[in-house]
Order: sequence, then structure tokens, then C-alpha cells
Amino acid sequence: MGFWRKYIFSTDHKIIGIQFLFLSLFFLLMGGLLAMQMRWQLGFPGKPMPGGGILPESMAPGGVILPEYYIQLVTMHGTFMVFFAIMPLLVGVYANFLIPLKLGAHDMAFPRINMASFWTAFLAGMVMLASLFVPEGASRAGWTMYAPLSARLDLSGAGLGQSLWSVSIVFLGLSSILGALNYITTIINNRAPGMTWFRMPLSVWSLFITAILGLLALPVLSGAAIMLLFDQTIGTHFFDPPAGGQALLWQHLFWFFGHPEVYILILPAMGMVSDIIANGSRKPIFGYHSMVFAIIAIGFLGWVVWGHHMFVSGMNPTLGSSFMVSTMVIAVPSAIKTFNWMGTMWRGNLHFHVPMMNAVAFVAMFVIGGLSGVFMAATPVDIHIHDTYFIVAHLHYVLFGGSLFALFGAIVYWYPKMFGRMMSERWGKIHFWLTFVFYNLTFFPMHILGMAGHMRRLYDPTQYDFLKPYQPMNEFISVCAFLLFATQSIFALNFVISLFRGRKAELNPWHDNGLEWTLPSPAPHGNWTQVPSVYRGPYEFSSPLVAEDYLPQTQKLPTDQEPAVLAGAAS
Amino acid sequence: MDTVQHKHPPYLLIWLYLALMTAAELALAFELPIARNLKLVLLLGLAVWKALLVAMFFMHLKFERWNLRILFIIPLPLAALFIFAAISQKFW
Amino acid sequence: MTHATTTASLMRPPFPAERGVDAHNLKLGMWVFLASEVMFFTALIGSYVILRFGAPGEWARPGTVLNVPVTAFNTFLLICSSVSMVKAFAAIADGNQKMLKVWLLLTIIGGAMFVGIQAYEYTHLVERGFLPSGVRDGSELAALVANGTLPQATMGLYGSTFYIMTGFHGFHVTCGVIAMTYLYFTKALRGKYTQQDYRGIETVGLYWHFVDLVWIILFTIVYLI
Repeated sequence: MGFWRKYIFSTDHKIIGIQFLFLSLFFLLMGGLLAMQMRWQLGFPGKPMPGGGILPESMAPGGVILPEYYIQLVTMHGTFMVFFAIMPLLVGVYANFLIPLKLGAHDMAFPRINMASFWTAFLAGMVMLASLFVPEGASRAGWTMYAPLSARLDLSGAGLGQSLWSVSIVFLGLSSILGALNYITTIINNRAPGMTWFRMPLSVWSLFITAILGLLALPVLSGAAIMLLFDQTIGTHFFDPPAGGQALLWQHLFWFFGHPEVYILILPAMGMVSDIIANGSRKPIFGYHSMVFAIIAIGFLGWVVWGHHMFVSGMNPTLGSSFMVSTMVIAVPSAIKTFNWMGTMWRGNLHFHVPMMNAVAFVAMFVIGGLSGVFMAATPVDIHIHDTYFIVAHLHYVLFGGSLFALFGAIVYWYPKMFGRMMSERWGKIHFWLTFVFYNLTFFPMHILGMAGHMRRLYDPTQYDFLKPYQPMNEFISVCAFLLFATQSIFALNFVISLFRGRKAELNPWHDNGLEWTLPSPAPHGNWTQVPSVYRGPYEFSSPLVAEDYLPQTQKLPTDQEPAVLAGAAS
Repeated sequence: MDTVQHKHPPYLLIWLYLALMTAAELALAFELPIARNLKLVLLLGLAVWKALLVAMFFMHLKFERWNLRILFIIPLPLAALFIFAAISQKFW
Repeated sequence: MTHATTTASLMRPPFPAERGVDAHNLKLGMWVFLASEVMFFTALIGSYVILRFGAPGEWARPGTVLNVPVTAFNTFLLICSSVSMVKAFAAIADGNQKMLKVWLLLTIIGGAMFVGIQAYEYTHLVERGFLPSGVRDGSELAALVANGTLPQATMGLYGSTFYIMTGFHGFHVTCGVIAMTYLYFTKALRGKYTQQDYRGIETVGLYWHFVDLVWIILFTIVYLI
């Protein structure tokens, strides 16, 4: 098979997963660069930014960021990070890479559709990137793109850039839907004999529920983005109040998608963290069944809480109360998961390898993010902190402290299976500690800023007298943010150098039980010549049945029966 | 090994029902002097009934296992919830 | 054994697996895809319902802007093509390749005619002054707005919702026609479908019936109410 078919237009789920990995890491970098510029402006308002000379005069004359450019930075930072970094990293990479491997399948149910899903995401990313470079600049209504600002050129000043945003999102939605239908079909129909539903690893369960969320939520966003595009370009009036349209309709559509979206951004992380914590504790996951039901509950409840993003929109208090209650309820399954992770670690034989450190940090940071969420769930409180830095702190605690730490762990954990080499343990630990410290120093103070009333998406805090006393805190946050960003170069170098100079990986470097660890590192095309049989669940660590402290799912003990479904087919 | 039961549903009969119901809808919408709200309910009911006929018989949902039917059913309450919440926001 | 389970066992993936739903991957995949399509049309149709409920005035009376008789015929046509599709499916399930080709071709023709008639309707509407942005100044419909036959306040919404719902539906029909034409020439005509394996027909059939189902809803709520 030629180079192009093997590595570029590949239908192999593992290659597609790796393609998503490179694409999303690129956009993670883009999102970070945009954030650095934002933090410069917030920490040192009106001062020329080092290196700002390369920006055009219309955006940053003399390196001083203009308000029109600042709001583009804010919008595109959120857009890149949510849609092109975290979502594809969690789903595009790990759903693709792990699902067939962990279930004992040769590949996804629809390999060519899988390839289409990647290239559509790639196209979406390029369109979004292009929107930064059009003459009038990129979209600037915030990543949540509220109408009528987003719908009208005369209000926002963004014409082509805004339309490109909508077009990009439509393509991204298509990519996600195609991916989701692949993951769901594969998980339902292509599990190896013996891989019953309740023997699936939690990473796969979480990816399954995530795929269902994506399947049903992304089409609503696509529909909304198309309506927005039409309002911008062909003069329709969906979100145009003077002509009878409703600006709030956009908010309903967007958040009906947007809330399930945030569970898409956390569930796979939770699933992978479960796998890693069980491994690092050498103990079965505590309460496997309740973990599954918690994932399902979160997935289900995620549909009925969207109004909590709209508490200040003027909705009837009764409707607001129902959203408040449902939002409080959704904290319960997340809490169950948190206690189960702690129960897994309790009295475990703890191995703090790099993935374990990141996974444990996930739990702690996610708790903080979740707790701030409980504040926000209470409507009377949210009315004061909505659109302040309290929200920014919350979302970064769950998305960075949560999802991104989980991703650091996952990338290191499955790196050997992807590339056949290990990343450096030493540099992984250095990266972890520096990131952990700078990350908390950057984002924790934002809770305080928010409580003081510091607004989101604000260009110059010093224009308000009540915020002037907090400017040193803004400066501090910015400096820590710069150090945080710089620290990521350690991860990037570790990742790239290990590709060529990393220690060659053995078959099962983490002594894990999943099916993927029975294959060579990296795994061959088609994974197995013969589909394996599965005899047990994925978390049989420190089992009394064997001398080793792990017991792979496919290892047959003398007491094991062949899976029932094989007996049936033979007749 | 495969004794396939070829009892197809009565497709042409379903077609006839669909045609008749479409005609009924047209009559209801334009000819019959019925109160507006009742007309609305009846028209929607007819549309939903026709849709169900297509789903149950042409798409064979009636003969599939429940776990396949669930797939199609799940989005429907979500759709209803979304529309209900957005409308109630406007009207309360 | 019912139809469903028989075909499932005949068309299993060529490797042993846990029992999923008793449906082959293409069928399961199509149902999953249709669930996402329900949500897509929910966004469009739901927005229509929400906008109409909250509209700042009366909505245009049915039949004053749109051509109901022609569209009623079009509806009937689409329903017929759904019947011919399911007859094609039944034919190959019985092993009858000849009738599969006949019924499939009729379905394609029916679908293509639907799109053609709809496109013709669009040009007619635009000519009379009905646009996605509302009523065009100086047009025939503008005169109706001026004399009070059509409500001025909601025509913008009417145009926006009409074109987006029927337009995307028409887009889906077109994709269906293209897909069926492709399968007709590359597989059905060459005898690639057999009584043992007609998964493609079943799968494209599900899509086609869905497109018909959506139209059944659309026709009522857009043209008759």
C-alpha cells in the first residue's frame, strides 16, 4: 500500500486517531497562542505586546491590541479550544483509537466513513483558521455566538469571518455525526465474544454515551449555524427581532446543543481516568456498575439543564427553578464517580506513574470545578456571577483541570500503543508538577475576580474604578499564564523527541488488562488475525486467582468457559 | 438453515390509507367548517398517524426488536422538550 | 424467525461477535444516522414552531402564498415512491431481481420528479415575490401585503422558515435520489443484490422512507396550517 493510502487517506482507525491527535494538538497550540495575547491585554492593558509588531495595523497598531481584535481573540480562543482541541482530542483521537482495540474488533463498523469524518474535521479546521486572516477579521461574538450581534454585519463588523465560522461549524457537526454513528454501531454490534456490556472498560462506556450525546446534539448546532449563516448572508430573519425573529431562539438552540456538548467534553476524560486510576491503584474500579449508571445518568440529565446558561435572559422564574433543580441533581452522579475514584485508590498499591499523577489531579481539579458549578446552579447566586470571571474559572477548572489533565494522562498512557515507544517519565513528572502549580495559580484567582464582579470578555478592566484594585491580580494571572504556556513546551518536546528517541515499548508496559495491551506496539492493520475471546471484566487487578497483580481480559484460566455466543454460532 | 418467513406487511393497503388520509387532510384544511383549534389538532394527528404508518410498516419498525426501536424513539422526547421550553419562555 | 433476524444471521459481520441488536451494521448505522436527522429537523421545524407561536402578528392563511394543489400531488408522488421502494425491498427479499430493478427505477423517477416539481415551485414563488427574506418590493405578493390579504409583520418569518425547511428537505431527497441512482447502476443492474444479501437496498430504503416521513409532517405544518 502506497504512502498516501497508508498514512494520509487511511481507513485504519488507529491512523485516523493519530491524525486527529496531530490536528487537535495543533489547534490546542493555536488556542493557547490566542489566550496568551488575551492575557497580555488583561495583565498590561494598552501596552505594546512583545512580538505584536507582526500583527496588522487594523488589529494591533504598534503592538497594542485593539478592542476589535481583543474580542476576536476571545471568540476564537473559545472556538478553537472547544471544537478543535478538546472535543477532537477526547473523541476523535480516543474513540477512534481505543474502541475497536478495547472491544476486540478489527476496525470500526464503517472505516471509509471514519476517514470521511477526519477529513471533514480537517476541512472545518482549515476554514476556521482561514477566518482569522480575512480582511475584516474573524468572528467576534464570543464562542457562544449570540444573536443579533453574530447575525448582523452592521453590529459586529465581521462579515466573511463570521460566515466562515458558521460554515466551519456545519462541517464540524457533520464530522462529529459521522464519527458518532461509527462509534455507536461498533460498540453495539462489533464486540468480541465474551465482551458483554458489563465487561466493557469505563473508557468505552463513556465514549459510547458521549457518542450518543454527540449524535443528537451536534445536528441542532448545525441547524442553528445554518440559520445564522442565512441571517447573515441571504437576509432571513430567524434571529432578527424587528422582523419578528427571536434573539433568544439562538440561545435556546445553542445551549440545547451546548450543554450536552460540555458533557461530551468531560465524559471521555472521566472514562479514561477510571481506567488509569484502576491501573495505578492495582485495584478493581470501586463500584463499576454505579460508574456505568452514573455515566448514563449524566448523559441523560445533560439534556434537561441547558437553561442554566440563560438564567439572566428574563425567563419565567418557574422555568428557571426547574432548570436549577435539574442542574443540582446532575451533580449527584458526578459525585458518585468522584467517591468511586477515591474508593478505588483507598488502600490500593499506588503506583504514581505519570498517567496516574495526571488522573489523580483530574479528580481533585474536577471537584473544584464541580463545586463552583453548584454555586452557579443556584439561580439567585448565578444572577450575580453570570458572565463574570467566576464562570471563566469554573469552565477552565473542568476543561483544563479536568479534561486536559486527563488528556495528558491518556496521551502518555496510550502513547506506547500508538507509537511503539515510551515518553520520558522524568520529563513527564516535571511537566506535570510545573503545569499543576502554574495552572492553579492562573485560574484559582479568577474565582475571586468573578466574585468581585470582573466581567467576561472585558477589554480593559482598569476603565472601571471598582476593578482597579484587582489589577495586580490580573497581572499575576497573566504572568502565571505565560509560565503555564511556556511549560507546555516540555510536553511538546517530550512528545516529539520520544517519537524518535523514546525507549522502545514492550507489549504491556503498564501491566494493564485491556485487550489493546495484548497486541504489538504499535498494533498492526486489522488488529487481530483472529478475534479474541473475553473471559472477564477489565479491572481484575490484584486478583487472588493469579500470582501477577493483573489479569488480562483475554487470558483464559483453567476455570474459564468459552463465551456463550460462540457456542450458539457453532450449531 | 434459513426458513425465511416471507409474510410481507400489506404495503398496498398502507398506501391506500396514506392516500385517503392525505385527501382527508386537504378536505379538513380547506373545505370543512371546523373550529381552528380543533382543525389544528386533527391535522397534526393525521400527520403523525401517517408518519407512524410509514415508520411501522415501510421501515419495518413494528417487526424489529425493541432495542432498535429505542434508537428512533429517543430523540422524540428531546425534540418535544426543546420546543416546549422555548415556547414557554416566550409566553410565561 | 422473522425477516429481521433472518437477514441478521445471513448478513453477520464475517467474524464472531457478541449479539448486538439483531440488525446488520449498515441497517444499525442507518437507524443511528436517522436519529441524528430527527434532531436536525427538530432544530429547523422546532424553530418554525417557536417563531410562529411567538410571531408578532397573524400568519398568512394557507393557500394564499403556496400552491397547495400542486404540492398535494407532490406529496402523493413521494408517498408512491415510498411504496415502490418498499416493493423493491420485498422483491429482492423474495429473490426477484427483475422486479427489484423495476421498483427501484420507479422510486428514483418518483424522487426525481418530486425534486423537479419542488424546484419549479420555487422558481414560481420567487417570480411572484416570495423570498427567504420575505416579500420582494414591487412584486405580486407585495401588492397582496399592501391590500391586507397577506400580513406584513410575519412575511419575513414565513419566507425564512418555509425555504429553510423545504429546502433542506429537498436537499435530503436529492441526496437520496443520487444514492439510489448510484446503487441502481453499480449494483442492482449488475445483479449484485441477491436474496442472500440485499443490505444496501434495505439501508437506502430506510433513508428514503424517512425522507418521506419528514415530508408528511412538513406538508401538514407548512402548507395546511
